[in-house]
Amino acid sequence: MNERDTTNARTAPDEQHTDSADEKFRSWTESSGTGTVNIKDMTKVYGTDGDELTAVDSMDLHIEAEEFVTVLGPSGCGKSTVMECVAGYLDPTEGEVLVNGEPVDGPDPSRGVVFQENRLFPWKTVTENVRFGPQMRDAVDQSRIERLFDQMGLEGFEDSYPHELSGGMQQRAELARLLANDPDIMLMDEPFSGLDAMTKELMQEKLLDVWEDDDRTVLFITHDVEEAILLADRVVVMTARPGQVKDVIDVDLERPRDIDMVTTDRFNELQRRASESIHDEAERAMEQAEGRA
Amino acid sequence: MSTGSMSERIGDRFGESLPSPTRGVRKLLSLVGFVAVWWLCYRFGVLNFDHFVSPVTTLVEFAGALAGQPLTEGGDTIYLHAVYSAARVAIGVGFAAVLAIPTGLVVGTSQRWENLLYPALEAFRPIPPIAWLPIAIIVFPTLALGSISVPLPALFVVFVGAFFPIFTNTIEGARNIETEYRRAAESLGASSGNVFRHVVLPATLPSIITGLSLGVGLGWITVVAAELLTGGPGLGYIIMQGSRLLQNQIVVIGMLAVGALGYASSLLVERLGHWLMPWSTTEGNRE
Repeated sequence: MNERDTTNARTAPDEQHTDSADEKFRSWTESSGTGTVNIKDMTKVYGTDGDELTAVDSMDLHIEAEEFVTVLGPSGCGKSTVMECVAGYLDPTEGEVLVNGEPVDGPDPSRGVVFQENRLFPWKTVTENVRFGPQMRDAVDQSRIERLFDQMGLEGFEDSYPHELSGGMQQRAELARLLANDPDIMLMDEPFSGLDAMTKELMQEKLLDVWEDDDRTVLFITHDVEEAILLADRVVVMTARPGQVKDVIDVDLERPRDIDMVTTDRFNELQRRASESIHDEAERAMEQAEGRA
Repeated sequence: MSTGSMSERIGDRFGESLPSPTRGVRKLLSLVGFVAVWWLCYRFGVLNFDHFVSPVTTLVEFAGALAGQPLTEGGDTIYLHAVYSAARVAIGVGFAAVLAIPTGLVVGTSQRWENLLYPALEAFRPIPPIAWLPIAIIVFPTLALGSISVPLPALFVVFVGAFFPIFTNTIEGARNIETEYRRAAESLGASSGNVFRHVVLPATLPSIITGLSLGVGLGWITVVAAELLTGGPGLGYIIMQGSRLLQNQIVVIGMLAVGALGYASSLLVERLGHWLMPWSTTEGNRE
């Protein structure tokens, strides 16, 4: 409830700003309409002749602008590979990844990434980290950075180094760093898997708040069934390696959502369906892992 | 009742029975003990120690040297010798750092440059720096800057000694940067130049400081070795000179001075590290 208040409150002072400031602010809060992701017949093979590993095999997935999609799969199923191809870190071996209809060509600030482990720069203070993206694009907006500190509850830690923060705070700071760049698409690779259960719930609610406020597309990778359903518009279940789309579950729970929803009948029904879908794949993934060992 | 808990309790009791200032006293005791063993060896002629010098004579002369008396008849003070050696170390290590850090960063981050530079440099690495001295004496002249003569051969040997630890540590540091830091920077809009400046450089800094610390240590080792052979002024020269004149107290004084300055310069590098990496010195978890 508190968070709602603070996020709404920040529109008030801006109404008194000049036109250009208003425009800037609107472009931040309102959707620009972009942010579609189209994965077409994508295959990713690691290694070379004789020692090849097919991580993803002929995968198709279309994500609408402003849609929240979670990709649920057993460990080692290639779900991180999918994200790395959308981020532009890797090129697909076959097929293509289109963002806003254009083929992905390397990383871009319009596609923000949060990694599984905290990747705040340890040698920069929290402020320097959050300012990094805008600074790189010569577009530092101090008032916006201050709003982000407020929204993410980071006040008082401006000059701290990341290792001085708790795990949850580091994750909020990383989210602030990403939001400072105002990305159309947020790519998140199991970002909360290293957090304790309580902090994880709070972070999930924080992320939902952020997403509901400013419409962005989210591609969220996880192996946690409950998390996948709680957050998503659609849950994409992946098979064990080589990864393919096994199942797509539409999550018709109403928004805004909160953690209490996990006890409703509809949630349980969806959770059961996702669990069943992923169960066999998890078994296969485990056999694969044992086979390799 | 296990033996473990027994010995633990005995250890505790033993610890309690000692009064708190014992650590300083024990440290002092180790120094006094060392001097005592030296004196006993000298007094009773263990091995050929009776030909060596008494610690008492040495300490008296050391005090004299610190007061500014020349070490040898009509010679220079210990301060002048120390300044010469320290300057060689500083300049030699400085040159090594200026060359080794950029080269190491390039080799550590670029496969192409690694293939071009690494094999040749790796072939030179196992050669002891002092083995370069004969070539250095032929190739490098002694520069005359006014009244000060600067023998480049000794400087070159220090340079070689300091270069490799700095070089190899920089390479290792640059190679082992977590890929995701680079990716994070790229996804935030950093150009490759900015990735270098904001990720590669700070992430490699701890290894560079380690390399510098080792480089300075090797600088002192090599400067003494080179001065033993090339002459003075310098602390290595004074050690050799003391030996030639059968004035062993001078040998010991030279050794003590090298030890003290070596220790001081490694503290200096440590300070530099803290200054350059404020993030490594702040205390952990506030929350």
